[in-house]
Amino acid sequence: MKVTFPHLGTMHIFCKTIAETSGIPFVVPPETSRKTLTLGVQHSNECLCLPFKIILGNFIEALQRGADTIVMVGSGPPCRLGLYDLVQKVILEDMGLHYRWLTIPPRLTWRAIWKNYEETKELKKELTWKNILLFPYGLRMGWKKMMACESLEKLAMKVRPREVKRGETQKRLKKALAWVDEARSLRTLAEALQRGTLSLQETEQDVSRAPFKVAIVGELYTVMDPHINRGVEQKLGELGAEVTRSSWFSTHILRSLRKNKAGQASERMRFFEASKAYLGYDVGAECNLSVGEAILRSREGFDGVVHLMPFACMPETTASGVLTRVSKDRDIPILTLVLDEQEIEGRVQTLLEAFVEMLQWKRKAASVFPKP
Amino acid sequence: MEEKGRIGIPKALMYYRYFPLWKVFFEELGWRVIVSGGLGRRGELRYLEDSCLPMKLLLTHCMDLKDRADHLFVPRLVSLHRSFIMCPKFRGAPDIVRLAMEESVSILDETIDLRVREHSMLRSFLRSGQRLGATEKEGKRAFQRAEKCFVSFQQGWEDRVNRLPSEQVFHLAPPPEPTETPKKPFRVAFVGHPYNLFDTDVNKDILSFAKNLGMRIITPEGLSEKEIDAQVSDLSKEIYWSSGREIVGSLFYFLSGGVDGVVFLTSFKCGIDALLQEFVRRRLKLRGGTPIPFLILSLDEHSGREGLTTRLEAFKDVLEQRKY
Repeated sequence: MKVTFPHLGTMHIFCKTIAETSGIPFVVPPETSRKTLTLGVQHSNECLCLPFKIILGNFIEALQRGADTIVMVGSGPPCRLGLYDLVQKVILEDMGLHYRWLTIPPRLTWRAIWKNYEETKELKKELTWKNILLFPYGLRMGWKKMMACESLEKLAMKVRPREVKRGETQKRLKKALAWVDEARSLRTLAEALQRGTLSLQETEQDVSRAPFKVAIVGELYTVMDPHINRGVEQKLGELGAEVTRSSWFSTHILRSLRKNKAGQASERMRFFEASKAYLGYDVGAECNLSVGEAILRSREGFDGVVHLMPFACMPETTASGVLTRVSKDRDIPILTLVLDEQEIEGRVQTLLEAFVEMLQWKRKAASVFPKP
Repeated sequence: MEEKGRIGIPKALMYYRYFPLWKVFFEELGWRVIVSGGLGRRGELRYLEDSCLPMKLLLTHCMDLKDRADHLFVPRLVSLHRSFIMCPKFRGAPDIVRLAMEESVSILDETIDLRVREHSMLRSFLRSGQRLGATEKEGKRAFQRAEKCFVSFQQGWEDRVNRLPSEQVFHLAPPPEPTETPKKPFRVAFVGHPYNLFDTDVNKDILSFAKNLGMRIITPEGLSEKEIDAQVSDLSKEIYWSSGREIVGSLFYFLSGGVDGVVFLTSFKCGIDALLQEFVRRRLKLRGGTPIPFLILSLDEHSGREGLTTRLEAFKDVLEQRKY
């Protein structure tokens, strides 16, 4: 048995740690590249969403490298994500690849647990007692690493717009993430986190700068994975904008476990409530939250919002329509970036540069003609 | 009874299945129902977001009705089945319409969600009736009449589609008796969302062209839920869109026999169709193909009639070769 999983931002560190700590053999799919995307595009059709294509590409590459068991998060209606596994199974089968599929249920219901039991029955025979006993420890370790990665990334978002030498923060962040990835025990992990934080803080910064505050909203997969959004977060930061986003791997895990009602979950509720000014019903996935977050961020004094969505994404298409109106009503610049398989790195860069320039003009105008 | 005012029903999306029900209900309450015109030859498409063509048409039709109607009827269709749902875009559709109209007209946007008792078809219509000033009793009576009309409308559906010109399919008059007994036509199943099948702005009136080519049109409306369920019950995961289920189920049903050919009409950018089309294609391949000719036509605002007719003619040639 060799387990594999799709890429999503720094999620592979989490999954890898669990497998590693509990001694289950695994294959990390190669970093998402042009080749991954080409494979995914080749074996799907043009109107399928970008996450589908990339996840499929990840699986194909991993299976070719010897993996045989796919672990994939499940999801429910109304978005297409809930049926990815149905279609991807048929596609992989048609390609002649052999695999076993294990779905992690999005919500813990009896039906989901039963299905999970059925799926794992075969796999359990291949696991030793040691694997099973070590699993909770692996889970804990993975979670700690996840939180460490996220805190490093959040710190990098703050440092990046103030860095003196462009690109230095990114370099340091990469190194710091690698240290976290290498940590084998909770003690070394804490050390790695401390070292990484220090290293990021030591970046030469120009404290006199007043960076723009920009929020990234949109479909979670495009928001979280720098390979899919072509490094929007990094690019915006290097153009002098302090980026904020509310979509993190941990928030989605906690949400599905229905934990942490006081923290992030209530933040989602806040966004949802705000969206009611425009949307009368829960459209599904992140649509209402994108709209709600944009509204709230404009109230909180953010300078701009960047809305990310994959081409032909069903809920976010509705959100993009509503956001054009939000932008007009609330006087906040909103840039919608529709991402697809095309090579649009240059285009994204140009759009973001123009967007930041517009923010500059807006700030200048506000200082020359202050609002009464 | 004097006329209370006008209700505008945009000729888009689920108009192409439920129009008789909607029309009779509002007429029973004493309102006049007006329907938007077509896109026309040089029609301009109006839209807020870059959605699929049928969604864009909804807004275009609403714009057309804006000045003529007192209320626009754009229900929020969350679910039209007791356990399955509609495409997520339908949930936001009334909001998008409201934003585009800029508050210039009142919109009847009651939620219809057959999974919840509170939002059943009857209750949702009663609420619409209340907003129009009708009592519950009046509303109930009107709904009963409307339902009766709808049931009788659905009978003889196949004749209606085959004998009437496309623009008259949704007129309430009974279908004409057959005039001549046609020579054995090809029985061709047209599968897709109802608005792809019957909206002539989406499909460039491909159905009447098919009829001219001597095809008898079969639609999934004629299949019972059981027949569809039998085709999709063995999947590893339940397809949770009712329209998607209907499409996949009827495609497999027709492709396993009973018809001479199958045509699948999809809209470009339709998320459900894109995903399920891939699924159907691969699954057929794994099963070792199908003996029945199968054509997938993808439609959008740029597709011309000529392109579609050429492919349909070629499809007919294939059918002929198989038969003789």
